[in-house]
Amino acid sequence: MTPPLAAEKTRDVFWGFGTLVEILWYVLAVASVVVFAYGIGREVAKYRRGHATFLPPRAELPGRFVTGTRTLLSHASIKRRDPYVGWAHRGVFYGWVVLFIGTVILAVNTDVTERFFGWRFFKGNFYLGYSIVLDVLGLALVAGLVLMMVRRGILRPRKLDYARPDRAPGDPQYDRGIYRRGDWVFLGLLLYLALTGYLLEGVRIAMDAPGYNAFSPAGWVVAQAINPLGLGDEALGVVRRTIWWSHGLVAIAFVAAIPYTKATHMVSSWASLVLKDPLAGKRLRPIPEDRQQEPAGYATLGDFATEHLLQLDACTKCGKCHEACPANATGRPLSPRDVVLELREQSNAALHDAGVGGVLGTLLHGDGRTGSARRIVGEDAVRPETVWACMQCNACVEACPVGIEQAPIINQIRRRLVEEGELDANLQSTLEVIHKSGNSFGENRRRRGRWTQELDFEVKDARKEPVDVLWFVGDYASFDPRSQRVTRAIARLLHAAGVDFGILYDGERNSGNDVRRAGEEGLFEALAEANIATLAKCDFQRIVTSDPHSLNTLRNEYPELGGAWTVAHHTTLLLELIDSGALDVRDRLAYRVTYHDPCYLGRHNGGYDAPRAILRALGCSLIEMPRNRDNSFCCGAGGGRIWIPDPPGAERPSENRIREAVGLGELDYFVVSCPKDVTMYEDAIKTTGNAQRLELRELTELIEEALVGAPAAAAVG
Amino acid sequence: MKVVVAVKAVAALDDEAELVDGDTAVDPDGLEWDLNEWDAFSLEEALTLRDGAGDGEVVALTVGDEEAQDSLLACLAKGADRAVRIWDDALEGADPLAVARVLAAAIEPEAPDLVLCGVQSSDAVNGATGVAVAAHLGLPHVAVVKRLELEAGVATVERELEGGLVEVLRIRLPALMTIQTGINEPRYATLRAIKQARDKPLSELGLDDVGLDAARVGASAGARLRRLRHPEKGEGAEMLDGSPEDVAARIADIVKERMSA
Amino acid sequence: MILVIAETRRGELRPVTLELVTAALGLKEAAGGRVAVAVIDADASSFAGALAVAGVDEVLAVSASTPHFEAHHTQRAVEALIEAEQPALILLGHTIDSMGFGSAVAARLGLGFASDVTAVSWDGGPIATRGAYGGKLVAELDFPGHERTLLTVRAGAFDPADAAGAEPAVRPFDVAFDPPLTEHIEFREAATGDVDITKADFLLSIGRGIEDKDNIAQFEELAERLGATLSVSRPLVDAGWMSNARQVGQSGKTVQPKVYLALGISGAVQHLAGMQKADTIIAVNTDPDAPIFGVAHYGAVADLFDVAEALEQHFA
Repeated sequence: MTPPLAAEKTRDVFWGFGTLVEILWYVLAVASVVVFAYGIGREVAKYRRGHATFLPPRAELPGRFVTGTRTLLSHASIKRRDPYVGWAHRGVFYGWVVLFIGTVILAVNTDVTERFFGWRFFKGNFYLGYSIVLDVLGLALVAGLVLMMVRRGILRPRKLDYARPDRAPGDPQYDRGIYRRGDWVFLGLLLYLALTGYLLEGVRIAMDAPGYNAFSPAGWVVAQAINPLGLGDEALGVVRRTIWWSHGLVAIAFVAAIPYTKATHMVSSWASLVLKDPLAGKRLRPIPEDRQQEPAGYATLGDFATEHLLQLDACTKCGKCHEACPANATGRPLSPRDVVLELREQSNAALHDAGVGGVLGTLLHGDGRTGSARRIVGEDAVRPETVWACMQCNACVEACPVGIEQAPIINQIRRRLVEEGELDANLQSTLEVIHKSGNSFGENRRRRGRWTQELDFEVKDARKEPVDVLWFVGDYASFDPRSQRVTRAIARLLHAAGVDFGILYDGERNSGNDVRRAGEEGLFEALAEANIATLAKCDFQRIVTSDPHSLNTLRNEYPELGGAWTVAHHTTLLLELIDSGALDVRDRLAYRVTYHDPCYLGRHNGGYDAPRAILRALGCSLIEMPRNRDNSFCCGAGGGRIWIPDPPGAERPSENRIREAVGLGELDYFVVSCPKDVTMYEDAIKTTGNAQRLELRELTELIEEALVGAPAAAAVG
Repeated sequence: MKVVVAVKAVAALDDEAELVDGDTAVDPDGLEWDLNEWDAFSLEEALTLRDGAGDGEVVALTVGDEEAQDSLLACLAKGADRAVRIWDDALEGADPLAVARVLAAAIEPEAPDLVLCGVQSSDAVNGATGVAVAAHLGLPHVAVVKRLELEAGVATVERELEGGLVEVLRIRLPALMTIQTGINEPRYATLRAIKQARDKPLSELGLDDVGLDAARVGASAGARLRRLRHPEKGEGAEMLDGSPEDVAARIADIVKERMSA
Repeated sequence: MILVIAETRRGELRPVTLELVTAALGLKEAAGGRVAVAVIDADASSFAGALAVAGVDEVLAVSASTPHFEAHHTQRAVEALIEAEQPALILLGHTIDSMGFGSAVAARLGLGFASDVTAVSWDGGPIATRGAYGGKLVAELDFPGHERTLLTVRAGAFDPADAAGAEPAVRPFDVAFDPPLTEHIEFREAATGDVDITKADFLLSIGRGIEDKDNIAQFEELAERLGATLSVSRPLVDAGWMSNARQVGQSGKTVQPKVYLALGISGAVQHLAGMQKADTIIAVNTDPDAPIFGVAHYGAVADLFDVAEALEQHFA
């Protein structure tokens, strides 16, 4: 069989249309583009409300474009923790992208090169390749959509029911059924477009029998189904015209609707990934210089940073943050997703109120005023109890596939709530105490170094003599009696290993990590400035701390205030000492243990490996909890929550975590490496009734046990 | 509506504070200063009254050395319009009557509609200064107010008596009241607000500026401190040692024994 | 002489008055050998019987112009009494009423003055003992340069005198009153609810140390298990967590149970005034220097939650 001439391999776009009909089509297409463009303009008007202080400099944009697009193409952030969704979204994404590019190519051929220059490239081998690629990727799209539908219709993960934990059942705002229905329409429309596309191809092949079926396999299958119907050319023509229009009209309507519907995430999520702040949540943003005289933080849309407003539209409601959030998991009135959606609804409602005139006014004058005064905190918006339920553990930011900064946005709202006095009374008095005495325990600052008195050696005062390691001890490790036992164990180990170290004694202040996350930005600045001034006068090589919260702030936040030093967690230093042989502890303990990653050591600072390496070196067998490393579950103490009472009766995050550990079977120890974890989990082991089954050890206590051969409990008087 | 709030920076004593000057004073290292708890409530009440009236001024006034500066800044940060600090070294260790004399001299030219004081200070616990100020100014006064409503220059107040009894009474302004805790919820002053408060007017006056001389103030004092001492440790209290479990076991024994007696 | 200012309310002599009489009789000889008690009340002379204490020389009856205590009138009356009688020592209860005029009298007449006094002695003049720095220290005061000294004495610091003697002579004392500066509207009893903590034999009392409203339920349970009645210190009432009916202290109830178990109460003087007469006081607090240990019979420096939890085990 001789194939037809390559030059003839093509298809007719406006098959058999009259000029008038063709004009009608173009009018509709232009209208669609206008509606689309207005929609994009609307989004821009929304983002103009914000301030651009923290947008990356233009010079960074090309590099960021590459990184963001790479994340998108690889689906790394989408497939994470949910491979099913990874595959389904890849199908939809690549199917859609290729079909979209195909449509653009066709439009360029039809509406530009051929119409104006009479040059048709949509033919021959190019056409055949085009045909086969689109045909196959169309199948990928259909497969992806079907997988998504199976998930929504049959698997029904709870995160997709969109019920709000921040509203009571029965509240009109509780059920977000409209989102559920909207998502079905979205999937349905895409499927409709894909299927009518194939149908159209099938009818065309049935009519024209072009003979290169291998390049349109799906269309050919449809044609085989149509042929036995024995329809004549005229009947097929009617069918073909009908399908053409119903495909085409829906397609241009879909394009017009992109900025107004879930489809907008194709643009906004991509843009959000490009602008993604690699330090989101690890380093919170300061109050912009030009806003020092205004109230801090967010209470209205006009207070937002531009990228945060964009992120509101980037959310796809995927529920990864909803699932990861410890507040949500323990029944608190908070889901990071629902905060983002509530803010988005506020943002859109304010735009709606402004009308077309408001949008165009903003676009033309660039004044950014449309709806910027709308308040986003309150009973009918984001509720204060929602904002205060957050532990600032960054699980949401870590989980978000599109770079939304849920926790930092919540932090910004807290800043304003603190200024407006909408804060828990206990938190208020703790902040007052920290301001007065420099520590959250309300202890006289002179007592900070008192834990050293029970040691049988002197701990150097790093303010008075040079040291190799400056040990920033932190509040809990300094003042909490249980943590002091760990603190002294660390001191004994460093002393035994011959490390040259010292502390700041009463020169140290609370590092400010939790103060900042509680929303008291001014107090954070004051504490940080005091610590930086003290540290700057000391002579040392690096800072070591056993407190992950202090670690995070010293490492990621002090540099912006002029204090850039090398900061390490004590587990890093202790691992070095074990590896170098300075601490001879190898293979001494044969315990079965599990290890809890502290949020601020793990997720915030990537400190996953040193604690595990130490456990291995000691000879312990580590049984991982299901939620480990970057998916570690917050103990509930972060973000100032340790100073805010938990609601009565509700499960505490720490209790949820202990139950997870107990589920692993027989364990000797629940191992932690954060002073707050010691307090939180020792309580939770008791309150969950597991005191007989599980005991807590701070990692250092195990090292000391391995070193001196005695149980750590006996080594602490 | 002009309200003068007389406030005090109070000292919290560290457990290890040492007595100095022949046991008539405490080593300053053993003291931490803060705005008196009662004064946070009286200031809040003043701010609420001013804001409710729609205009007016709240002036925070204190007798104290530099240690009192932060407390005044906190008042300004919370919303006081201006602050006045009066000090002279002759006022070191001044008793409530001497302080009242100085406060009265400073308040008089202000001619306020209302003077608010805390019922007492958490360190000295005299419960005396406010009413003594009223005596000097010849102002009508009510002590231990736990509710305050103003209408047309007449205040309806609730005076908190012993045993949960409340007396409701009316008093015409200008007047002086001492405010009890719990009357409102004092607001939080953010550090930013405290920093910004440095731009608000804070005047520092000496005794001359309020028309007093050091000798006269000294003579108006009601008492002289002979000496300070630590209370005899646990006068009679037998301390129960050991773990919480040990303590609980001992308490249980004592309770059971006493209740069956 | 020593002049005691009696305190009356709604037709009754308040108990602090007889405590003041005890204090006055202890100093009687040193201070000139005469003790008079002044009653300022609409029906002043009717209180002579209640003041029938051996050693009280005279009752001065000031007929008040208002049916209830009026601070400015009482102030005026006390000033007039002092000017006429020239006492060396004037004793008032450190009560809410006297906080309304005591220091005003001292300021206007230039008297020696100390408030919330817990003990008085005499050495050429009165020497007063009172707390300092929130009760963490004890201060001794004297009053050089003052011929007359006015002290307000803490309720409960002295035992009440026995009013079983002969009725003292009553001398009417006239005072020219100006119109009153305050207008009494009403007395209002705080809602007591169904609990009367003054009748309980065993009080479990909690304070600021419980940290949070939501922890109250836990202590209600503990109280039930212990067979105790739950009472609280002032901060919990101020915070709106508990009703005033359960408050122990000067502005709450004065209690005298067999056992008073105080968890997380540091012991502000106003609280101590309400419970120091309990037969057995047991205090648990994290602060070893909490003033409550000064009046407690048994004390423990410990975390109240730990102790509470362990305590449950002993009352199954």
